Amino acid sequence: MSEIAVAEKAVPQEAAKPEEKKALRFAYYPGCSLTTSAKDYNMSVIEVAKALGLELEELEDWSCCGATAAYSVNYLLSLALPARNLALAEAKGLDIVTPCPECYYRLWAAHDSMGEDPKVLEKVNKAMDGTGLKCAGSVDVKHILDVLVNGVGMEAIAKKVVRPLKGLKVVPYYGCVIVKPPRKSRFDSPENPMTMDRLISALGAESIQWDSKTRCCGGPIMLTNEKAMLNLSRDLLAKAKAAGAQAVVLPCQLCQLALDGKQTAIEEAFKEKIDMPVLYFTQLMGLAFGIEPKRLGLDKNLVSVNKLLKSIGISS
Amino acid sequence: MAEAGLQVIKLKDCDPHFMNEVIAAGGKNVQLCYQCGTCTGGCPVAHLMDYPPRTVMRMVQLGMKEQVLKSATLWVCASCNTCTTRCPRGVEIAKVMGALKSLAIKEGVAAKNPLGPVFYKSFLDSTGTFGRVFEPKLMLDVHLKGDGSIAQGIRGLLREAPFGMRLAMRGRVALLPEAIGHKEQMKKIYENICKMECLHE
Repeated sequence: MSEIAVAEKAVPQEAAKPEEKKALRFAYYPGCSLTTSAKDYNMSVIEVAKALGLELEELEDWSCCGATAAYSVNYLLSLALPARNLALAEAKGLDIVTPCPECYYRLWAAHDSMGEDPKVLEKVNKAMDGTGLKCAGSVDVKHILDVLVNGVGMEAIAKKVVRPLKGLKVVPYYGCVIVKPPRKSRFDSPENPMTMDRLISALGAESIQWDSKTRCCGGPIMLTNEKAMLNLSRDLLAKAKAAGAQAVVLPCQLCQLALDGKQTAIEEAFKEKIDMPVLYFTQLMGLAFGIEPKRLGLDKNLVSVNKLLKSIGISS
Repeated sequence: MAEAGLQVIKLKDCDPHFMNEVIAAGGKNVQLCYQCGTCTGGCPVAHLMDYPPRTVMRMVQLGMKEQVLKSATLWVCASCNTCTTRCPRGVEIAKVMGALKSLAIKEGVAAKNPLGPVFYKSFLDSTGTFGRVFEPKLMLDVHLKGDGSIAQGIRGLLREAPFGMRLAMRGRVALLPEAIGHKEQMKKIYENICKMECLHE
């Protein structure tokens, strides 16, 4: 009886002070690239999470998800490699959050396949025999964009903005696998996602509507079919420029490597100047939060961001 | 592209078990394809394929194993999943491509783009050994272990050198592989799967 009374009392109190709701805590899975070629993404995720009170506890001893390679060689391996990480997170009792769209896709695909079919779960656990690890399917997998915008919330994000990015025009570029194929419990549309668009607006910048939000950059075939990749990425950069963007904003490190890393190669191949900075959405958030560019890894871009920083009043 | 013109398909040359092999390898719902062509219409790299995705789905249904597994299409696919997303029949086309790649590698069928299998092998060797991917090795292997000559490989690496240097100067290249604590668990998982699936790895 008294418990009910307490609960009833607690509800309106919580509603009155939403900012005091319990801190979100996740097992953080950076993925292989974020420890090396995409350190800047990792740095900015950690900085932004810290500013927002989002608790990220790095999943101890996490291993590679297998990415496109595993499912191109063996289907069971493409489930077992993510499963090892799901099992580690289960032992911690924490849902996984990752910034890498490919890891996100591989982890949720394994999680959902095992959840939908007990025979698959059994087979994957058999593949982990002798490792001391076992999956039950008790933890979920989320992408950091979803957790920040829908978990932490747009209101809390807007409150942290001390340097509104007024006058800055960017194109939101989602890449493919963050929304494609669509998960049953998806957080955004696979054809016209809007999560990052809304976020960019909340930071004070202008999110340009363009037709290539989820058009492939060719990242996954960068090493095996470079010519095709350069063509795909060049199309995107040209469209971003034509749309009047000062930068491309994205949530994927492979797209970043294609659009930023390979931009010089594209300029050389097509004999044209592009000069389009490519930023992670978390770097844009950090700038609006007043965090120093270097702490967001903004000195690691191959295409200089100096002009862009200057336009929002930051001298570098 | 092979869409134009008619060709005679000899059923005696087809393998009636092939479609089920593809489904077992992860190519979910390939039997449901009704040839609408939405996949080919949305594919950003269809123009580079010898057989576009729609044709590949039909070839799988008909059991045209040899032609499909030797197709360059498999190694052009960027796994963007636009096809899977839009398929009105729920065919997971990108996964069918994955299943076909895995069968082509398993059967040792020479692919038209030798870099694909080399890239995947290097990636998974790294994962199996260290538990994580070692990016510089991917680049070395793709250039030096493709079917081109050593001279070609070295030229390829030299072409990539400025890109690598620019990344390295910004601290974006790891010099040594990062290993997980329980590497033996990776070895065990690989061994188990080899036993369960009779792989020739």
